[in-house]
Amino acid sequence: MATNAIDQTRRMLSLVTYLRERPGARVEDVARAFGITTDELISDLHVLPMCGTSFRGGDLLDIDTDGERIWWHNADAVGSSTGEPLRLAADEATALLVAARAVATLPGLRESDREALQRATAKIEAAAGESAGASSRLSVSFESEGGVFADVDRAIAERRRLWIRYYSPTRDTLTEREIDPIRLFAVGHTYVEAWCRLSEAHRTFRLDRVAEIRLLDEPSDPPPVELRDLSEGLVQPSAEDPQVVIEVGPGGRWVAEYYPHDSAEELPEGGLRITLRAPDPASLRRLALRLGRDGRIVSPSELADSAREAARAALAAYGD
Amino acid sequence: MAIAKAERLMNLALCLLGTRRPLTKRELRASIEAYLEVGGGSGRGGEDAFNRMFERDKDDLRELGLVIETVENLEGEIAYQARRDSNRLPPVALDAEEAAALTLAAKVWQQARLAGAASGALQKLRAAGMPLADSGAEDPYGGHSALEPRIPVREAAFEPLMLACRDRRPVTFAYRKSNAARPGTRHVEPWTLECWRGHWYLAGHDRDRGAERVFRLSRITGPVRSRAGAYTAEVPDHVTVRETVERWAGEIATATARIRLRQGAGYPLRARALRTREAGDGWDELEIPYGHGLDAWLVEFGPDVVVLEPADLRADVVDRLRAVAKG
Repeated sequence: MATNAIDQTRRMLSLVTYLRERPGARVEDVARAFGITTDELISDLHVLPMCGTSFRGGDLLDIDTDGERIWWHNADAVGSSTGEPLRLAADEATALLVAARAVATLPGLRESDREALQRATAKIEAAAGESAGASSRLSVSFESEGGVFADVDRAIAERRRLWIRYYSPTRDTLTEREIDPIRLFAVGHTYVEAWCRLSEAHRTFRLDRVAEIRLLDEPSDPPPVELRDLSEGLVQPSAEDPQVVIEVGPGGRWVAEYYPHDSAEELPEGGLRITLRAPDPASLRRLALRLGRDGRIVSPSELADSAREAARAALAAYGD
Repeated sequence: MAIAKAERLMNLALCLLGTRRPLTKRELRASIEAYLEVGGGSGRGGEDAFNRMFERDKDDLRELGLVIETVENLEGEIAYQARRDSNRLPPVALDAEEAAALTLAAKVWQQARLAGAASGALQKLRAAGMPLADSGAEDPYGGHSALEPRIPVREAAFEPLMLACRDRRPVTFAYRKSNAARPGTRHVEPWTLECWRGHWYLAGHDRDRGAERVFRLSRITGPVRSRAGAYTAEVPDHVTVRETVERWAGEIATATARIRLRQGAGYPLRARALRTREAGDGWDELEIPYGHGLDAWLVEFGPDVVVLEPADLRADVVDRLRAVAKG
């Protein structure tokens, strides 16, 4: 990972503090404490001996490493002020406090974790002083279904299988299935990643779509799977999935905000021509119905037809 | 080869922190190799290049949290110092449990600037003695907690608005309302940013409308530009973004509606129903909260829903169905 100069400077200032207190610190331990690779640490250690209060006076930091341990030979000579713990910057306090407050609001969080987080937040607020002020200008709420969350969390902790009744909005049906939960994560909504024994596949379930849940006595036994990379966004349509083209007017532009798409071309009068991929285009019938006069399905024609038929059948009930 | 920026910043920081008296620009330049190298170290051009670099570096160090004081010395020259007492972190005694909870929470940011700031904060705290959290890395299914919350930030407008909220700077941006053909320019005094259901919103004072407004960041088109000058409206103590967004989403019901729903269909409608009874022939009759946007939602269920009342909702649904049937 490439680090920018600001982050590297920030890190090196903390490194100096850390090393002053820990003569002969092990490279591995320091890298772990700083959340960086040993290569990144070694490159910082190459820069530090060029730093000091005067390059001519010779009072540079005499820090070196044999690849295993790190030594600072003139820590006492450079003066006690070099390496004192530094106050938190406004952005640092904000990033930490907003994250801690957001996580503390998760309804399903273990009580002991929540209390630890609240104690930590209060201590950081006190230590950050003025820098903590700006953190009130940013806030994050997670949403999660408290009861369902607690059951999933317990199942993961006790490694037990779950039975759920799960709602699929694309088919408008509820299905019953047994799942072996692997982890919970929250990106806007809260999800459980699990091995689904009904589809015999690795699946992600949104907690607010779980209509019913029961802990089973059977042990959970998910096969080893690669966990989803959350940095890539939740929906990753495949290039082999069939293409769907939708044209929307200004009132249907929200489609581009909610659906990951290949392209969205501007149309005259503020409309968009959106091209996206769906493993099962029929699942977009709901979208076609919802759009009404704000948009239409250009292709595939089967999808456009099925929306038209559904609308006609619905109108029949109104005597239309 | 030019000396890397991180090395230069580090030297400036150490000089400012280590000195017992304020140092002039001239003294700093003499102590820091990178500054001597700029523009060959002499001549007008070199002097200007050094001055620009020095100003930028000072700003960067301030962003990193360094408090740099500026004083005029006896000769009338400006001198700089990062005093120990104003830069020292007060003692923070975090136990292992608190450290672990904080370390987990700090991972929520997916935005580069905040992720960098959060890990920078943890590094400072660790250097000051915060215990290291146990890593559960050996067992991907075990570990400390089963939950991995993430805060998504995909909107380009996020970072400039975050800084504008922090520094209380007015901004302008192009904003497209959800049903508008073209974006319009907004002049806003930004108050707070809030993430709700995975989307970011800005609350602030809209200067043209002379009132509080909430903006969805994904609808900001083009760059956010900051404007000079102070806020003209008072910033309220408490801003409620969530209530406004819930009203947009139709979650604040203003009345009730009566619908027929085919048995087995429409679970989310049933989950919100105030009353449900069997209506025979494989249908149920439901009373549901009626707020903004209910017509569009009901149409999604196609022939499995029939609106009974009120009449205006019934007309809206029929209208929408006709548009699709014709399409």
